[in-house]
Amino acid sequence: MAEAHVIPGARFMDPVVLARIGNLELVSRAVADGFINGLHKAPYFGASVDFAEHRGYVPGDDIRRMDWRLWARTDRYYIKEYEAETNMNFSVLMDVSKSMDYGSRGITKFEYARILTACLTNLVHHQRDRVGFVAFDDAVVEHVPPSAKHMETVLHVLDRLKPGRPGHLKGPLHKLAEHFGRRGVLVVISDFYDEPEAILDAVSPLRFRGNDLIVFHVLDPTELEFGFTDAQPFEDLESGEQMPVVPDAFREEYRSLVRAHIDALTKSFASVRVDYTVLDTSKPLDHALYRYLGSRAKMMKVR
Amino acid sequence: MSFLAPLFFLALAGLAIPVLLHLTQREKKQIVHFPSLMFVRRIPYQSVRRRKIHNWLLLFVRLAALALIILAFARPLIQRDDAAPIGAGSREVVVLLDNSYSMGFGDHWQRATAAARDQFAKMSASDRATLVLFSSGADIQMRSTSEKARFNAVLDTVKPGDAATRYSPALKVAGSIVAESTLPRREVVIISDFQRGGWRGEEGARLPQGVTLTPVAIQGAADKANLSVTGLSLARSMFSNQERLTVTAVVTNRTERSVSGSNIALETAGLPVANKPLNVEPGGSASVTFEPVTISSRNFKGTVRLADDALNADNSFNFVVSPSEPVRLTIVDRGNTDLYLTRALSIGEAPRFEAVSRQADAVSDEDLRRSTVVVLNDVDVSTGLARRLAKYVEQGGGLFVATGPRAKWPQDVDLLPATIGNPVDRTRGDAARIGSLEYGHPVFAPFRAPRSGDFSSVPVYGYRSLTAAKNAQVLARFDAGAPAVVERRTGSGRVLIWGSTLDVTWSDLPQRPMFLPFVHRAIRHLAGYTEPQPWVTVGQVLDASVAPRGASTQRVVLTPSGRRVPIEDEGSDVVELSEKGFYELRGDAANMNHTVVAVNVDPAEADLTPIDAKEIVAAATGGSAGGDGSQPNGIPLTPEAREKNQRLWWYLLIGGILLLGVDTLVSNRMAKT
Repeated sequence: MAEAHVIPGARFMDPVVLARIGNLELVSRAVADGFINGLHKAPYFGASVDFAEHRGYVPGDDIRRMDWRLWARTDRYYIKEYEAETNMNFSVLMDVSKSMDYGSRGITKFEYARILTACLTNLVHHQRDRVGFVAFDDAVVEHVPPSAKHMETVLHVLDRLKPGRPGHLKGPLHKLAEHFGRRGVLVVISDFYDEPEAILDAVSPLRFRGNDLIVFHVLDPTELEFGFTDAQPFEDLESGEQMPVVPDAFREEYRSLVRAHIDALTKSFASVRVDYTVLDTSKPLDHALYRYLGSRAKMMKVR
Repeated sequence: MSFLAPLFFLALAGLAIPVLLHLTQREKKQIVHFPSLMFVRRIPYQSVRRRKIHNWLLLFVRLAALALIILAFARPLIQRDDAAPIGAGSREVVVLLDNSYSMGFGDHWQRATAAARDQFAKMSASDRATLVLFSSGADIQMRSTSEKARFNAVLDTVKPGDAATRYSPALKVAGSIVAESTLPRREVVIISDFQRGGWRGEEGARLPQGVTLTPVAIQGAADKANLSVTGLSLARSMFSNQERLTVTAVVTNRTERSVSGSNIALETAGLPVANKPLNVEPGGSASVTFEPVTISSRNFKGTVRLADDALNADNSFNFVVSPSEPVRLTIVDRGNTDLYLTRALSIGEAPRFEAVSRQADAVSDEDLRRSTVVVLNDVDVSTGLARRLAKYVEQGGGLFVATGPRAKWPQDVDLLPATIGNPVDRTRGDAARIGSLEYGHPVFAPFRAPRSGDFSSVPVYGYRSLTAAKNAQVLARFDAGAPAVVERRTGSGRVLIWGSTLDVTWSDLPQRPMFLPFVHRAIRHLAGYTEPQPWVTVGQVLDASVAPRGASTQRVVLTPSGRRVPIEDEGSDVVELSEKGFYELRGDAANMNHTVVAVNVDPAEADLTPIDAKEIVAAATGGSAGGDGSQPNGIPLTPEAREKNQRLWWYLLIGGILLLGVDTLVSNRMAKT
């Protein structure tokens, strides 16, 4: 697959294999390290530890950060301030509704999203950014506030998570939009089973405080292709509703509906300058990571 | 074509199962869980496909397989005209007609003969028939003939006999007749009242293969009353030096109707002497005791007779008694030493013993002539007496020899069963005991049962050592192995020797309870005494050798119906008793001292409880009473042809199994694609 080799030298792994490893820290480190090795010439790396400016000493400041040389020259106390302090917040908002617990090729959407979250968190942690995490279905299930020390916590929370309840985007996302007061990068991972307008309505408020928003639309290949053959009753994972389905007769119609849904979302998110990417759970994670880094680069340029 | 098990066609309803499976199969599949039916719900689709049958081939194969298997289980039977009958249509019919006395009940006999006539009327010109009358035996009246008129003539003459029913001999006779027949269709028709008493599940009463047995049951009229005399009790007593007989009759009512106001009579010498009223409940019995009658002469005939009822043959019961004859014996001793012996002999009633005592030198020829047994009680026998005794025994007399210290027998007269040796003294140390007895011998048979006398408890302090002769039988031995009692047959008589005394000088035996039965049995055995039988049953045989032999005249048996049956001297002296009444065995015409035997019917035959005729048919034909083994026209098939006609189920079953295999292949292939 062409997309798998977008970044030369990177060691990309099959998500199914990653899902089998089980240890999220190990998985995320393996993926992120491989990815970073492929990006060693990237201009963004290390930016967060650069010197930024001096400011006058005020009682209470740590005297270790005093610039003694400047004191020698000027006889005034100055404190050195570094770029690191301006590092951004990074939070993943992951949909853990029941519909995410579906997978036809050895890995569920939930597992894929979890690995993706772990990898992104690891990557971000490497860049000294603050990492946070929110899991939601029709309400907020888990919330880890962004912090440079929360890498382990995020991984731990991810490890415990289990999808269970029906999902609803609007309620939890609106609540979270008010919560993210500081500008940062927000990544929303969901399967977005809702009308495009409703999705846009739910997601858009996250951008209001200047957050950079990346949306990953995770779908199983079966959801895209509808590759069933036998006529069988289908049951909605979230509502429990059943209906007889004859896939041969349904397939084309279904595909066109899904395509229209994705198109509508692409258009809607583009209109509000939100990065929107459809992720197929049968594909490696590099695509998603590249998307993130691209987005962060844009943000840095903006600064 | 017909079917042996058509009920299996009910299983055809099961053919609906594959159709329903085909129609419902897809709905029964596992539910597919899908993240969201948001898009699916938007697709307009009218599902009609699952109401259609998609795999017509599979459905057809399954239906055909099931149908073939059901057909196979229904056992189709082809009845073809060319199904190889054994020959043409001529029949060999054996009609077995029951003429036991129970067939005289009500109108049974008329109905039975009418049924037999029906069988003969159905005969075609090429058919042959045999008429066999049977009761306890079987008698072929007419053998394998086509002349119907002769059958009818014979049927006009035959009547029920006096014997009881036995089916086995009749079936054996029928089997032998049909086995010899060359005609293709062989049938046996049995016409009877099918009494349960006549069938004991005999083995061997098996008809050849392919023979059909048709039972014709003559039953009914159970509401008619029938009494039967099932037995008599005869008690003798003495009154004024004359012997009297008290007769008690047992009357049984085996029907479901009570009998009241009837009467029962006792006849002696053909004349009624007593009459008594009789009431018997249904299924019950009653006993009637008549006043004693005097036994006035030898061969005193008597009959107990009931009033007429539905079955007359069992209404009379005959008996013959004679004044009891004592067993006469002569005791030879040394004078007044026979106390224990004479006391023991005086007690006997049946028979009585009349004993006279003589000293050895006083035994006359007259004594020997009138005595049936001579007892030598520890005496020294002279050669003359020994020779006379040898002649006496040769002519049928009995001799009992008790050997004490004085017993002596001349060496030159070979009569005794053992040589008398020296006395053995067992007064010191342990006394001798009788260690082993020949319980099978009539003398010791009463002591066989436990607690019936223990000879080993009797101490014997002295005995004479006996050496058994070559052809003698040792009946008892002392504990040391020496013979104690030895017997020998000589001529027509018998000699028994006892190794010790009949008094208490050498033995305690005379004081023991065993002494009396031992002496009685020994004397009865030596005298050849047998209990007189007051009656016998029809079907038994009469030993005509007991008839008195005249010098030159021909001996005859006079039957109750008046027939004279001569007894061949060279041939068997056995006469079968086939009629009830009194048989007379006559020897010399001038000698009126003939023998009379009373013959009665078997009372068990009066019990008309029927057996299911199918049981007899099943036993005689091995379970196949015709029916499935014959063609529509009644011609029986050979076993091969019968099997061939039924073989179709094999092919149907194999076809069904093959189709199931095809079904598996097809469905597997469809599943893969």
